[in-house]
Amino acid sequence: MIRLNLVLLAAVLVSALYLVRVQYESRRLYAELDRAQGDSRKLRQERERLEAETRAQATPLRVERLAKEQLQMRPAHPGITVYAGSAAQAASATGARP
Amino acid sequence: MTRGVSYSSSPLLAGPTPVWRSKFIMALLVIAFVTLAGRAAWIQVVRNDFFQHQGAVRFTRTLELPANRGRILDRNGLLLATSVPAPSIWAIPEDVDRDPAKLDQLAKLLEMTRAELDKRLEDEDKTFVWIKRQVDSAVAQAIAALGIRGIHQRMEYRRVYPEGEAAAHVVGFANVEAVGQEGIELAFNQELGGRAGSRRVIKDRMGRVVEGVGEVTAPVDGRDVQLSIDSKIQFFAYQQLRDAVAAHKAKAGSIIVLDAQTGEVLALANYPSFSPNKRHNLSGAQLRNRVLTDTFEPGSTVKPLIAGLALGKGIVTPNTVIQTAPGRMTLGGATITDAHPHGAMSVNEVIQKSSNVGTVKMAMQMAPRDMWELFTQVGFGQRPQVPFPGAVSGKVRAHKTWRPIEQATMSYGYGLSVSLFQLARAYSVFARDGELVPVTLQRSGERVQGVSVMDAKDAQAVRHMLHLAAGPGGTAQKAQMMGYSVGGKTGTARKQEGKGYAEKKYRGFFVGLAPVDAPRVVAAVMIDEPAAGAYYGGDVAAPVFSATVQQALRMLGVPPDMNVRPHIVVGAVEESF
Repeated sequence: MIRLNLVLLAAVLVSALYLVRVQYESRRLYAELDRAQGDSRKLRQERERLEAETRAQATPLRVERLAKEQLQMRPAHPGITVYAGSAAQAASATGARP
Repeated sequence: MTRGVSYSSSPLLAGPTPVWRSKFIMALLVIAFVTLAGRAAWIQVVRNDFFQHQGAVRFTRTLELPANRGRILDRNGLLLATSVPAPSIWAIPEDVDRDPAKLDQLAKLLEMTRAELDKRLEDEDKTFVWIKRQVDSAVAQAIAALGIRGIHQRMEYRRVYPEGEAAAHVVGFANVEAVGQEGIELAFNQELGGRAGSRRVIKDRMGRVVEGVGEVTAPVDGRDVQLSIDSKIQFFAYQQLRDAVAAHKAKAGSIIVLDAQTGEVLALANYPSFSPNKRHNLSGAQLRNRVLTDTFEPGSTVKPLIAGLALGKGIVTPNTVIQTAPGRMTLGGATITDAHPHGAMSVNEVIQKSSNVGTVKMAMQMAPRDMWELFTQVGFGQRPQVPFPGAVSGKVRAHKTWRPIEQATMSYGYGLSVSLFQLARAYSVFARDGELVPVTLQRSGERVQGVSVMDAKDAQAVRHMLHLAAGPGGTAQKAQMMGYSVGGKTGTARKQEGKGYAEKKYRGFFVGLAPVDAPRVVAAVMIDEPAAGAYYGGDVAAPVFSATVQQALRMLGVPPDMNVRPHIVVGAVEESF
């Protein structure tokens, strides 16, 4: 009877220690998960910021200025456009002949 | 000799101790323990909520899960507004490390003077002061790297508007607290805003989250709003308008470009504008979305509506000849004049040359009620159904109060007021063979059903008149563009000031459509108080229309409907102009 009790006591102790360990592990993992989620949020924001920055670098205002000043381009108009489509339509629309 | 104290025996111990004393002590101890146990049970089992709560307060925290504000996109999915992280810098003045070198660096990073920074930190009784709100991420990182004690950061979000001033009036802006203040940001504040969520967590002594407690209320991100605006057309329209306002030394200008098929607003711009990213010293003149909030007398631009009505009522045909000589007529004691006397003209020519006398002669054969009904049907005097703050209704008085002279002046656009938005929408009647389209700012991409207000053949006849007006001998020749046929009507109205009309203060405007045979785009341009000589709508507004609409049609992929002398020499390397 005493032996059984001792075995059970040992089992209870082991189980209690294991519980503490599991609890600790679970908290550690939860903290890690939380950090990872924080990182993911930060990265999403960073992407948003970079997208906005890309867009700011490619606004029509800037594109227009660079095209005009650096590349000496002019706005297109029908006079300098060849319309691809059916050949007859293109010819009649622009008067251009191949 | 003194007698020693005997410790081994005491007279007090000599007598027998009564048994009840020890029992009494025992009983006291038992009662004390029972009381303690009872109290412990009371606290821990029966009434445990108070201490549970106090415990929870010390280690659980409610974290707010911020919702992202939705983005505003143009019709092609390009960003018009989005939120980016922008940390705010705050301090506890008492704790701040007063190392002058570090504070100098901080001030420099924040683009403040040292005196300004010191002023913020001066009141040591305060436990929280903002140093600067919403700085760039890079600046915030540099500040964190300085590691000054007592200077903290708080994550916030800032709206950025890549299109800047070109789309400022459409997009509007949100304030520091991310609440919409103007434009779409205000109109769609609810949808864009989303709803913040929250969760309860347990934090350890290091401030790390170690466990979640209870249910998480997930944040609901704001919805993205996709507008019908095409940012390229928008920019081009704004640029043309800005240049025209500068060239004519005008006070302001507005432009609106509609897709006649879908009823979508492709561009809506005003000048002067503002940069929504830097909102310092904004004036009302800059903020006003004139397309929707400013009304004016539409002048000659209502003549095509009168002509359409006259055709519909069978009063005239396009070729009916009307005598407009000698270029003036008297009605109820007032004289109506034309800028140039024209003689006998067909209805086509009345619109082409914009004759007041000819229009009045048509209008006086109609009942005031018919005119009023047409004005109302095309949306004059009614608040436009657009989700935009400050859109005004304009004014059309009830027809019963019209005197004959008023009916006459209204037929050529004086005595009623409309906004540029209403005017452009009214012209969709001619573009859509008599249908008035509902106008939307949100992307649809589908052909929309309109409300029929005029017979298709009458609308087409008026469209032909508009084409003549923009052709040789018309008032709007500068609206012509390469490759596309144009129809449109100019208007020039003297500005009202007080009770009368101001001397030498005009508004020049132009409303038109293109291409004439199958109109795709309707646009209206208004230039306010041009002061560099020219002030006729045909001179100041029509060129803006022409340049903008030509680009818009090209970007929409509409093939040219007119022969163009090609400027490309096939086979040659260089282009010849």
